[in-house]
Amino acid sequence: MSALNIEESTTALVTEQAPDNKTKRYDRQLRLWAASGQNALESSRILVISGTATSTSILKNLVLPGIGQFTILDSTKVTPEDAGNNFFLEGPSSIGKSRAEEAVRLLSELNDGVEGKADLRSLEEVLEKDKEWLSEFTIVIAHNLEAALLDKLSGLLWEDQGFPSLVVVRSAGFLAEFYIQYHEHTVIESHPETAQSLRLDKPFPSLLDYSMSLDFENMDVTDHAHVPYLFILVRLLEEWKKTHNGSPPATYAEKKEFKKSILSMRKKHDEENFEEAEAQAYRAWTPTTVPSDISALFTDPKVLSLTDSSPPFYHLVYALSKFVEDQPYHALPLTSTLPDIKASTDSYIHLQKLYKARAEEEKQIFKSYLKVPVEEDMVDAFLKNSHALKLLRGKKWGALEADKEALVSAIETAPKQLSTHLALTALTSLAAKNQPNAPLTPTVEDLTAEAQTLLPPGTDLPDEFPDAVGEVARSPTADLPNTAALLGGLVAQEVIKMITKQYIPINGYCIVDLIETWTGIL
Amino acid sequence: MSSESSASADWPGRYYHIDQVLNTPGPRTDEAFLAGDGVKNFLRDQAKILVIGAGGLGCEILANLALTGFKDIHVIDMDTIDISNLNRQFLFRPKDVGKSKAIVAAEFIMKRVPGVKVTPYFGKIQDKDDDYYMQFNLVICGLDSVEARRWMNATLVNLVDPENPESLKPMIDGGTEGFKGQARVILPTITSCYECSLDMLNKPTAFPICTIANTPRLPEHCIEWASVLEWPRVHGDKKLDTDDPDHIGWLYRVAAARAAEFKIEGVTWSLTQGVVKNIIPAIASTNAIIAAACCNEAFKIALHEKRDDCPVCGGEALEITISPEMTVEELIDMLVEKQDIQIKKPSLSTPTKQIYLQAPPQLEQSTRPNLEKKVSELVPPNGEVTVTATTLPFSLSLRISYSA
Repeated sequence: MSALNIEESTTALVTEQAPDNKTKRYDRQLRLWAASGQNALESSRILVISGTATSTSILKNLVLPGIGQFTILDSTKVTPEDAGNNFFLEGPSSIGKSRAEEAVRLLSELNDGVEGKADLRSLEEVLEKDKEWLSEFTIVIAHNLEAALLDKLSGLLWEDQGFPSLVVVRSAGFLAEFYIQYHEHTVIESHPETAQSLRLDKPFPSLLDYSMSLDFENMDVTDHAHVPYLFILVRLLEEWKKTHNGSPPATYAEKKEFKKSILSMRKKHDEENFEEAEAQAYRAWTPTTVPSDISALFTDPKVLSLTDSSPPFYHLVYALSKFVEDQPYHALPLTSTLPDIKASTDSYIHLQKLYKARAEEEKQIFKSYLKVPVEEDMVDAFLKNSHALKLLRGKKWGALEADKEALVSAIETAPKQLSTHLALTALTSLAAKNQPNAPLTPTVEDLTAEAQTLLPPGTDLPDEFPDAVGEVARSPTADLPNTAALLGGLVAQEVIKMITKQYIPINGYCIVDLIETWTGIL
Repeated sequence: MSSESSASADWPGRYYHIDQVLNTPGPRTDEAFLAGDGVKNFLRDQAKILVIGAGGLGCEILANLALTGFKDIHVIDMDTIDISNLNRQFLFRPKDVGKSKAIVAAEFIMKRVPGVKVTPYFGKIQDKDDDYYMQFNLVICGLDSVEARRWMNATLVNLVDPENPESLKPMIDGGTEGFKGQARVILPTITSCYECSLDMLNKPTAFPICTIANTPRLPEHCIEWASVLEWPRVHGDKKLDTDDPDHIGWLYRVAAARAAEFKIEGVTWSLTQGVVKNIIPAIASTNAIIAAACCNEAFKIALHEKRDDCPVCGGEALEITISPEMTVEELIDMLVEKQDIQIKKPSLSTPTKQIYLQAPPQLEQSTRPNLEKKVSELVPPNGEVTVTATTLPFSLSLRISYSA
């Protein structure tokens, strides 16, 4: 049959057409977070407080992938200084115009699908008269906010679990940090690098039956060389257990013997499927268990006190815990995702069908434990990722400063990161004490004294502190293009993870030092 | 227009932010950094930077360099703008699709950042000769292919003339893939180069031809069958154009038919395109991070550019003054400890004789008695000593004078 005939005979079967312009535009990112992630982005509303170079850098990386809407809250006019370091201002021609309006205009050019708004009120005014407005957003991002406003804003957004997360971003010259304030963040699609267990140590009945039914002795030579290694291992393990009191190979000698028995089944020396079975033999004796951070979720207070109105994630975790507890294998539900295996098409497809059928059965059992209905897509994603779920609990902005024990321990465990954090915190506090509109030029001594007050009495600042504080004193108000660009990328990256609920965002402070070019978590 | 832009180019306050770090050294600033006008003049009036690639990284790099104050930037890119670039290559708009990336990017930067000159070249890096590359102070690469990186790396390594310190062009190489990326500084002939670490690259996925032809199991196998085997069989010499939607459509239908025949699931348009074009996911944020890291290294290198006493590129001997009583052993200890030299196990010689060699063992043994001798017995005042070490990829010259 010629290819043209194939084509003609199957046009009815193939329905997918060439992608539309929007799919083409987003092709390179859809391959990372798929349509589900893109929909989440497109439904999001982002508030960015003030139109600094760092703020517009962050927004650029969110407008390009296509968030739904963004607002810049900024009551100031563009200064000559702003016009010099911000790519989303038009040089001298922007000077004197509203910074929010200019930045929104130029950022909006990046993507027709995104709505941009400039809000010319001050944050003080919003906090005083229109607090509710803040709760309309998905995430609020604030760059170099002064201490009192930051405290008020973070306090307000912490009041209710339903309020938006707050990203606090601070920078001075080559140093920077950011922190995401959230109560909790759950991730189903964490995009793990490891796959679910194939459960060869606990084969389900149809896999075991089929493996045992294979007549290796009388098999055709070609077929013999194309039996998927999973069948080989299941078969050999079962036979092994019969002669070893039901136990898998345990000692080094036993494992070696087991591997030898795999190779001895070969009819010819170049049978790749048996070589693959030998290489994968560890799967036969590695017990399939529930990862410890997954079983820890089973006893999470929110799972134990489940109500009908609990978020679906907790209902799914509850069902998972019941499944593991009740089902004979005490393992996570099977998934049908198989790696490529050296095999003939037919034997591979047959294997795939066995896994698929079993996974479907276990999914139905899993669903029977659900106390409320959950969307099918979510159930599927949950089962596919049940070995890599993530529940993050965050802290209120400033919790580190309130926890003196944690501060003292960070002096030992993360002195460089802590030094930068303390130096930036000292700068924020000093800025609050500065005369309004006076240039902010704190000395190393002032900043050091301020940082010292953050530590418990009698505790020395880390040895690395002078390196950090000297940089802050050198450039206290510098929003450097490269630092802004780097922060723009880092913050947008984490915000995308938060919005899409895919991949795992940071939990803690991300500290950036561009003198030595490192980032670290505190 | 041009007179207007140059008149307004350096308005008061323009460099308020960057000048904070140019006016004052910080606690970790290299001693060679000369704060103030010298470094600003170099940055704004003298430095000439080459950017290779005007794509995902290139757009970011150009914007960062322009805002940092570099005024003479050149950019090379052989590609034209595709709609799938618009999710991250932020200097391009839908109306630019089909135009040269280098030209559109250069025009955009010059319009947005007054006074910066960006010279585009719409073509291949291989079109340019050594004289062309010699004019730049440093090269930043935002490339997507191993071949282009290897060519650029080899060209810059070959450009190095030991007699001419100006011939050493630092190469800063960035690369991204999805959420991941890397930035690396290569000082040709001094640090390890791109070629040195070629074996650390991941092997590209290749499917055995017998699997594709006889035992397909994955949707990718069906797509490979369509593009590698069926396309040439049916279309003869007609070249497969992976940017042509009709060609991709044909491959998709043929692959889907084969998949249906073998009961394989998962052949989609997107996967077909991904496999035949070897598409690597790319997003704006990762590019921003990597480009910023590259430009920050470029900025730091540019600030140190004028260090004439740099042991590597300064071409001049490092002056040190020691006591006439100092022994060779003490000098070696000093070299090991001295912050700006930091050499482990240095070997010393003069232009005419060996003072102390750490290896091979025979020479170490024969020069060992010198350790107890005074340096002044072996080296005349203002005499030169060459220092080498296995940990040091270059030799260092010291000019020794003796304190009274």
